[in-house]
Amino acid sequence: MIDVTVTINGVPRKASVPAETTLLKLLREHFMLTGSKLGCDVGDCGACTVIVDGKPVNSCLMLAAQVDGREVITIEGVGKREHLHPIQKMFEEAGAVQCGFCGPGVIMSAKALLDEKPDPSVADIRDALSGNLCRCTGYTKMIEAVQDAARILRGETAAKPRQLELSK
Amino acid sequence: MKAFDYVAPRDLGAAVALLAEHGASAKILAGGTDLLVELEAAARVPKVVVDVSRLKELKGIAVTDGGLRIGAASTHNEIMRSPDLRNLFPALVEAAHTIGAVQTRNLGTLAGNLVTCVPSMDSGPALLALEAEVGIMSPRGAKRMPLAELFVRPRKTSLKPDEILTEIVIPKANLGKPSAFLKFGLRKGQALALVNVGVAAWIKKDCFVAPRIALGAVAPTVMRATRAEAFLDGKKVSEEAMAEAGRIAATEAKPISDFRASADYRRDLIETLTKRALATAVARAQQSAKEAVA
Ligand SMILES: Cc1cc2nc3c(=O)[nH]c(=O)nc-3n(C[C@H](O)[C@H](O)[C@H](O)COP(=O)(O)OP(=O)(O)OC[C@H]3O[C@@H](n4cnc5c(N)ncnc54)[C@H](O)[C@@H]3O)c2cc1C
Repeated sequence: MIDVTVTINGVPRKASVPAETTLLKLLREHFMLTGSKLGCDVGDCGACTVIVDGKPVNSCLMLAAQVDGREVITIEGVGKREHLHPIQKMFEEAGAVQCGFCGPGVIMSAKALLDEKPDPSVADIRDALSGNLCRCTGYTKMIEAVQDAARILRGETAAKPRQLELSK
Repeated sequence: MKAFDYVAPRDLGAAVALLAEHGASAKILAGGTDLLVELEAAARVPKVVVDVSRLKELKGIAVTDGGLRIGAASTHNEIMRSPDLRNLFPALVEAAHTIGAVQTRNLGTLAGNLVTCVPSMDSGPALLALEAEVGIMSPRGAKRMPLAELFVRPRKTSLKPDEILTEIVIPKANLGKPSAFLKFGLRKGQALALVNVGVAAWIKKDCFVAPRIALGAVAPTVMRATRAEAFLDGKKVSEEAMAEAGRIAATEAKPISDFRASADYRRDLIETLTKRALATAVARAQQSAKEAVA
């Protein structure tokens, strides 16, 4: 067994797990933080994306032992149901979430981008999200949502009003 | 994953001692983006995994007396952000940017990419074109060899189980040699190369001097197109010369047909990518000549 001391969403946590435990498994099965999703388990889909020491990574491709002494942020640390993060709010408004399975990973990638680059170009956003696969919504609405969230986070007026009235 | 032990040695000396102790039953772990994928499905796993990803001796990118030193455990993201590399060796920065996606580039390391030794590795062509050398540490001491001698065949390097890749060095003589890298995959993101090409060449009096062309994904290991290089050496810069170098390079490669592309298609890609990469390196040479005058 390996002892791991790690700060998760600002809270110091400790665990003792078998050495072959991935970070994703540590989060989901040990700390019951099930927001990070297990999709492919081999780094392709990005549903397990978390931020380690400021950088987005696939938590399925890290061992729990490798985050000893580090700081991890998961989707649970980004916003709460009653108090969504602007990225989450804009995803909701833009209709960027259908089944929602890829959402937590996409939002972590978007957060890592905006933390570092408050005014990203569309190319920057595409690059930042290229490791997150979505199989139902598509990416256009996500990119719009990230642009809207960036505007809000920069303190500019909120998102452009959307024309959603389909009647008339 | 099947059970194994994990150790994160505190320094390179401790890592070497662990490998001396465990020999072939140990396995080095860096970013894990190849190894953990492999172990996920493996019937047999190593007894002990030795994590070198946080060893200070394997980190850092800097110009030293011997040339440009890239710590073996530098991540692709660190390579993309290095001001020295952006300035002196853009081909490697371009290659790093095409590897996987942001999440993979934050974990995956240069050493891991080279040691996994798949023919499509994206770091290989750029480094071969710049005639990189690798530093290796083992219980028998430190040694240095040309990168080309690392590659044996698909998924097989010349490293012994107790040898750690510590650094990749671009020799001083090649610092600032104009370079370029191009990759063609089935998509822009998260796609392995059908063909990738790294080139480097000095341009003197409007002629190619010591041109180097390296190709990936078209032979059992990353390879130099030495006949194309010999053709181009001393030739005046022209569209035709670059196109001919591409045609020769295509005849030197031994591409296979697989579910991603046919051998013929790959040969066409070699021609086109070689020509375009050379043109980019030439443009860079002209740009830096202009800046030197200004
Ligand atoms: C989703 C995804 C997409 C990918 N896309 C690409 C791509 O587009 N292009 C590409 O080239 N690769 C790609 N890869 C492969 C991989 O990310 C790279 O090869 C990466 O650089 C491997 O580095 P690592 O540090 O993760 O290696 P690890 O998995 O830690 O190790 C790989 C091998 O290298 C050995 N090793 C590691 N460090 C050392 C050292 N210092 N000394 C001796 N041996 C060592 C290990 O023992 C192991 O055998 C992709 C992988 C994934 C999961």
